[in-house]
Amino acid sequence: MPGFASQNRKYIFIIFIFVVLFWLLTVQVKNGRFLFLERPVLAVSGFFERIITGSLNAVDAVSSWYGFLVHTDRENHRLKEEVEHLRLDNSLLNELLLENERLRASLDFRKLQPLSAITVQVIGKDTSPASSTVTINKGSDSGIRKDMAVITSTGVVGKIQAVLPETSKVLLLTDPGSTLAVRVQRNREEGLLEGKLVNCALKYVSYYADIQEGDLLVTSGLDGIYPKGLAVATVVKVTKREANAFQTVVAEPSVRFSRLEEALVLTK
Amino acid sequence: MKPFVYLAVLLLIIPVQASLVAPLSLGGIRPDLALALIFVIGLIAGPVEGAFAGIAIGLIQDIGSANLLGLTSLSRGIIGLVAGLFGRRVLDLESPTILLFLVVFSMAEGIYISFFLQTTSGAVPFLSLIAGRIVPQALYTGLVGFLMLHLVKRKKVLTMLTRRDIQKEL
Repeated sequence: MPGFASQNRKYIFIIFIFVVLFWLLTVQVKNGRFLFLERPVLAVSGFFERIITGSLNAVDAVSSWYGFLVHTDRENHRLKEEVEHLRLDNSLLNELLLENERLRASLDFRKLQPLSAITVQVIGKDTSPASSTVTINKGSDSGIRKDMAVITSTGVVGKIQAVLPETSKVLLLTDPGSTLAVRVQRNREEGLLEGKLVNCALKYVSYYADIQEGDLLVTSGLDGIYPKGLAVATVVKVTKREANAFQTVVAEPSVRFSRLEEALVLTK
Repeated sequence: MKPFVYLAVLLLIIPVQASLVAPLSLGGIRPDLALALIFVIGLIAGPVEGAFAGIAIGLIQDIGSANLLGLTSLSRGIIGLVAGLFGRRVLDLESPTILLFLVVFSMAEGIYISFFLQTTSGAVPFLSLIAGRIVPQALYTGLVGFLMLHLVKRKKVLTMLTRRDIQKEL
C-alpha cells in the first residue's frame, strides 16, 4: 500500500485538489461567491486586453483611414456617440410620455432626473462558459463605481461588478448571478429578472398576473441601481402550471450582447 | 511544457480569449481557446501536466469572470487529466477523429455547468443552452483545437514549447 501511494502520489494530490475544489464550490453555493484575487486578475487581464484591443483598433483605424477618410472617420465616431445619447434620451422620453398619459392627473408626480453617462468601449468578453461578463476600457479614474448601471440606446446591459483605475468588469443581464427589478410596461406588473446564460427568466410573477409574449419589461427603479423606465427585455415564452403559484416567464434581453461594442455607464 | 510557456499561458489566456478571439465569433458563438489548449497540453504533456494546467487555467478563468471559484477549474482539471490519460496511448494524434474527443469534452463540460446552475440557481433553459450554445461552441472549439494541435506538433514549435523528454517521446 505505501508503494502504491508513493508511485501514484501525483494522482493522489490531483484528486485531493479536485476534492478541495468541490468543497469550495459547495461552501460558495451556501455563503456566496469568494472574491479572492479578483482585482489582481482583472488588473493583469485588463492591462493585456487594453493592449490587444488597442492594437486591433489601431489596425482597424489605419485601414479605415486609408483613402483620405481621416476626418470622416472621426466625425462618424462623434456622431455615433451623439446618436447613442439621443436614442437614450428618446427612449426615456417615450417612457415619460406613457407615464404622463397614465398619471396626468397627478400634479405631484416626481420627474425623472436627467441622466449623466460616460461612454465606454468593450475591450473584452467573458472567457468562461458559466458566466456572462464584459470588460470595459474605463474605471474609477473616469468616475465609475461598483454597481453603476450600464446601458445602450436599446436597453440595459448590466451593472459594474468590479472596478480598477482604468478598467471595469460588467456583469451582464444574462449572467446567472444577475438579478434586476423590472415591471411589464403594458400593465405595470412587477417581477425579478434573473440571468440564465442564453436568456433571462422573470421570477415571482403570480399565476394570475397578465403576462403575454411580446410584452416589454422595463426597469422598475426599485433596486436603486437602474433608473426607472429603461428597456430591459421582451417576453418570449409564458408557461402556467396550475400546481405552481408562479408563472414561468422567459425573456430575451433587448441588447444583443454578441454585438456589444460600446455602452454608457450611468453615473447619476 | 516549459515553465515560461505555462507562465505566458496563465498571463495571456484571459486577454487573448476575451479580446483576440471575440472577433472570431460566429453568431455570438466563440471557440473556447482555453479548453482547446488544456486538451492539447494533456495530449502532448501527459495526464499530470494536463490536470494541473486545467486546474490553473480554470481557476484563473473562475476568478476573472463571475463564476463560483472552482466551477470550471474542476471540470477543466478533469478534462486535462482524461485527455492526458487517453493521450498518445489511445489516440492517434494524426487522425482528425481526435477532434471528436475535444467536442465531447466541451459538450460534457457545458452539460455539467448547466446541471450545476440548474441545481443551484433554479430553472435553466436546458434545450436552448444545448442547441444554442453548448453544441455549436463544442464544434467550433473542436476545430480550433485540431488546428492548434497541428500547429504545436510542428518540429520548431514543439522544440520551443516542450521539454526535451516530451520531444523525444513524440
